[in-house]
Amino acid sequence: MQLLLFGAFNGLIVGFFYALMALGLSLILGLNSVINFAHGGFMALGGYLAFTLAPFIGFWGALAVSPFAAAALGLVAERGLIRPLYGRDPLYSLLLTFGLALILEDMTRTIWGAQGVPFAIPDFLNHPLSDVYFFLTGYRLLVVIVAAVATGALFAVLRYTRLGVCIRAGNADLETVASLGVNIYLLRALNFALGILLAGLAGILAGGQLGLTPTMGSSLIMPSFVAIIVGGAGSLIGSLLGGLIIGVAAGVTTMYIPAASEVVIYLIMALVLLIRPRGLLGQEGLFE
Amino acid sequence: MTLLLEAEGIEAYYGKSHILHGVSLSVAEGEVVTLLGRNGAGKTTTLRAIMRLTPPREGRVRIFGQDVTGWPTHRIARGSGNGGVGYVPEGRHMFRHLTVEENLRVPPPTPGQWSLATIFSLFPRLAERRTSKAGRLSGGEQEMLAIARALLLNPRLLLLDEPSQGLAPVIVEEVMQAVRRMRSEGTAILLVEQNAILALAFADRAYVLSDGAIIHEGPAAELAADSEKVKSLAGARASRAA
Ligand SMILES: Nc1ncnc2c1ncn2[C@@H]1O[C@H](COP(=O)(O)OP(=O)(O)O)[C@@H](O)[C@H]1O
Ligand SMILES: [Mg+2]
Repeated sequence: MQLLLFGAFNGLIVGFFYALMALGLSLILGLNSVINFAHGGFMALGGYLAFTLAPFIGFWGALAVSPFAAAALGLVAERGLIRPLYGRDPLYSLLLTFGLALILEDMTRTIWGAQGVPFAIPDFLNHPLSDVYFFLTGYRLLVVIVAAVATGALFAVLRYTRLGVCIRAGNADLETVASLGVNIYLLRALNFALGILLAGLAGILAGGQLGLTPTMGSSLIMPSFVAIIVGGAGSLIGSLLGGLIIGVAAGVTTMYIPAASEVVIYLIMALVLLIRPRGLLGQEGLFE
Repeated sequence: MTLLLEAEGIEAYYGKSHILHGVSLSVAEGEVVTLLGRNGAGKTTTLRAIMRLTPPREGRVRIFGQDVTGWPTHRIARGSGNGGVGYVPEGRHMFRHLTVEENLRVPPPTPGQWSLATIFSLFPRLAERRTSKAGRLSGGEQEMLAIARALLLNPRLLLLDEPSQGLAPVIVEEVMQAVRRMRSEGTAILLVEQNAILALAFADRAYVLSDGAIIHEGPAAELAADSEKVKSLAGARASRAA
């Protein structure tokens, strides 16, 4: 029982990393129609920026500022590189973000080194909260809380702000949104930045848990795509759910059959695709 | 007479197929102009070219005397400080999974007569259903929502693409009542219709489009009086049934 809880909680943490990534990927896929392979690169960038900023503004300052710094860089990439490719064959933006992913990874390697760096978290967060549940450290609890709050805030923005209403409307019919006087160039840029903000946050949280390496992005991005497929493309709640499900599944599997922890993610995906091709909460007709 | 809209020599394509061949038309301040023509004549494409949703390859568009050729769609819709262009697309294009109220939040708030409050007094039905998903509205309610959404830009010019499409005659009458109200407020209207009888009864002037070219232009009353001509030009149905 202890083992199961341990595995499930570990998985929940990783699941939140997947979910934050998958939510950003989904936002960008929905409105920008871009499959953003560079998402993992931006995630790592968020973590490394926090690492660099922390000595000056402290851990909490870095946690608050770095996602926005990553989002600002995302904004630059959208404006400079991705925007000229809207409306063209999706293959172009796919190739572009793939190349950008390689560039970001090498850039991190050049600036911060290939070895990886430990991202120091405040000492009191390292201690277990109870003797029985030794795996429940303050930091892990923090990860769950911050990720949950960020997800809640995202859904609140989408539901209650005009920006969010326009993003949801634009997912369905961007042309009509433009014809109603909305600057869709700005809308797409802000949406892209919002997605990168979530990636940056995931990078910082993951950095404190798993350490920072230049390849952390590329190792987290595939499961994040799987999360989208499992949850159902076009549904943000689906992306959240998909991330948590595969995270917990992988976490539990690690406890019992360590070798199968990665395979189980793809097994779940295959199973979902067999039984319900559109994913758990996916829109009808998107994949069927 | 101030011209609100002037389109000149518009050439439009979908990929390689050449759809509009030098379409020119104009709408004056406060005027109601109808654009008639058979199915596939290019009426929708003409409106899309004006809004630059289908960017024309040749030709110029002036709105409120300003050359807007090459402007992105949202700037054309917003206009340049002196009122925008409201576009009500064919088939309504609701954001189906958004509520009525959310649909109405999409256009940026614009100073002028139309706000959420005045819109709801013009369309009490929409006020009643403000929290319903737009996809659940009836056809008539959806048309009203599409018009309401465009009105929130406080346009001086309204482009309406087949507002009667798929609606029962009573509902068409209700929609047209709202359009009449807009007209009496001084909003100029370019009305695309397949239902020529309905449109001619309402408009000041008419254009007839065939195979992407204007083949007739004149006062609406003149055309309305000659139903044989309407039939041969625009293939209009003789009845009002939609
Ligand atoms: N998206 C499109 N792609 C290719 N051809 C189109 C498209 N939309 C319309 N057409 C063609 O353009 C012509 C004009 O269409 P349209 O402007 O919709 O006519 P109308 O509104 O008068 O019925 C038609 O022959 C139609 O088949
Ligand atoms: Mg049409």
